[in-house]
Amino acid sequence: MVEFLQFTLDGIVFGMIYAAIALSLVLIWRGTRLLNFAQGGMAMLTTYIAIEVIYKTHSYWAGFVVALVAGLVLGAASELTVVRPTTGKPELNAVIVTIGLLIFFEGLAGMLFGGQFRSFPTGFSVTGLKVGGTALGISRFDVFTVAAVLLTTLILAVVFRYTTAGLRMRAAAFNATIARLSGIRVARVLTVGWALAGLLGALAGVLVSPSTFLYPNSMDAIFVLGFTAAVIGGLDSPVGAVVGGLLLGLTLSYVSGYVGGSVGSEITSLVALGILVLVLMVRPDGLFAGARMRRV
Amino acid sequence: MSSGTNGANPAPAADSAGASGEPGMGPEMGPGMGPEVGTASLAVEDLVAGYGEVIALDGVTVTAGAGGITAVLGANGAGKTTLLRAVSGLIKTRRGRVLLAGHDVAGRGPEQIVRAGIAHVPEGQGVIPELTVEENLRVGMMSWRRGQRADRAAALEEEYARFKPLADRRRKLASTLSGGERQMLVIARALLARPRVLLLDEPSLGLAPRVMAQVMDLVVRLSRERGLTIVLVEQNARSALAIADHGVVLNLGRVVASADAATLAADVALRHHYLGF
Repeated sequence: MVEFLQFTLDGIVFGMIYAAIALSLVLIWRGTRLLNFAQGGMAMLTTYIAIEVIYKTHSYWAGFVVALVAGLVLGAASELTVVRPTTGKPELNAVIVTIGLLIFFEGLAGMLFGGQFRSFPTGFSVTGLKVGGTALGISRFDVFTVAAVLLTTLILAVVFRYTTAGLRMRAAAFNATIARLSGIRVARVLTVGWALAGLLGALAGVLVSPSTFLYPNSMDAIFVLGFTAAVIGGLDSPVGAVVGGLLLGLTLSYVSGYVGGSVGSEITSLVALGILVLVLMVRPDGLFAGARMRRV
Repeated sequence: MSSGTNGANPAPAADSAGASGEPGMGPEMGPGMGPEVGTASLAVEDLVAGYGEVIALDGVTVTAGAGGITAVLGANGAGKTTLLRAVSGLIKTRRGRVLLAGHDVAGRGPEQIVRAGIAHVPEGQGVIPELTVEENLRVGMMSWRRGQRADRAAALEEEYARFKPLADRRRKLASTLSGGERQMLVIARALLARPRVLLLDEPSLGLAPRVMAQVMDLVVRLSRERGLTIVLVEQNARSALAIADHGVVLNLGRVVASADAATLAADVALRHHYLGF
């Protein structure tokens, strides 16, 4: 029972990180039908920026904030410089550009910061929390991880649903032609979407790196899992992205926990693939297709 | 291909009402609510536009008098929809001018053209089904400058007063509306942009005859009461000419006839050839 609780909490923590990546992919997908393969690379780069700031300032929070801002800037800059010129061209062009971006970011990180594994600090204690005498198997930092992603998601949801800026973004995503005819500057909205995606990716990078180490390819595996979560949720649905992330996090946690040992941690990617195939067979458009922007 | 034979465009809109904004039509302009935002003529001169290699409009000249209804008719593929898309900036014009009250707006993007005063209701699914009725309407005010919260609320209420069924369903998703209500919604949304010129693409498409009559009736009232200049693209030439002041017939991207509506409706050969009634 204690074991189950531990696996569950662990699954939720990792699920929220997958959800953050999934959400960042959904933000861009909804606007342009483009899968941003550079999302993980962007997150890796902003996490390196965070680690440098933390070393220089000795403040975790300075690094945390700088990473988020860097995510915003990197997202917007990527859209404006290399993605924008692919507008109106065959869809594959944009996809290839994002793959190119990924390679560029990973190469750049290797040149600037070296290829060695670096450990990333946490903002809070990583010693396990206890209820009574029972160890829960999660730390304060894990709680912070869940809270940070939930809060960011909630803020985004409220902005999207209740503000004029949010309506502008939803209208542009659902029907760009009508949006433009109504006076919405859709190109600008897309830039904002990329910036927000960059922010979410940066958040995920900072949150996950204490448990994975940081190196130029460190976000690749997280990206694949975030992508899986997004597809499970339907790629179109922010709610689906969060649910997909949690579902994936929990399943992988149970599998690696109960199977145990080195086998348990090694079959997780296989299991993730299995879930993906299963969902695509049963509901090819994802679990939340057709239910996009449900009431939150 | 696109190199024109009729060189440039020297004649500056012989019969356009120009910047004066004079209502060109209808001495019997009803009292109504009066024009809220003024009227303006729309003159398209020698317009060339297309998709890729295809020239869909090949030197089209159309004048829509201020405050009147101009019907644009013709078979499928004649270039009617392309004409509206070129005027509203959805596709780039390759040559020619689009004069709104005498000012050339050709070459601008749709975001700017709607701000200049031309609202375009495209054919088919113009509603955003994922948004509520009210959100759809609020999208119509995105071209407004910021602030003016009270004005926005008042403008919304004004449209709700005009379109009662929308008021009852304001919190419902637009996907729950009937065909007629959807058409109301997209027209109301276009009106919220406070246009001087309204481009309507097949507003009666897929509607039951009774609902279609209501839409046509609405178009007439918008023209008479608000002084809106309306360009109406219709497959159903008979009902379009019945309410229009002026008609233009397109065929393969060129204007083949342009006259007042009654004259066109009386031209048996033309009707037979191009209009199918």
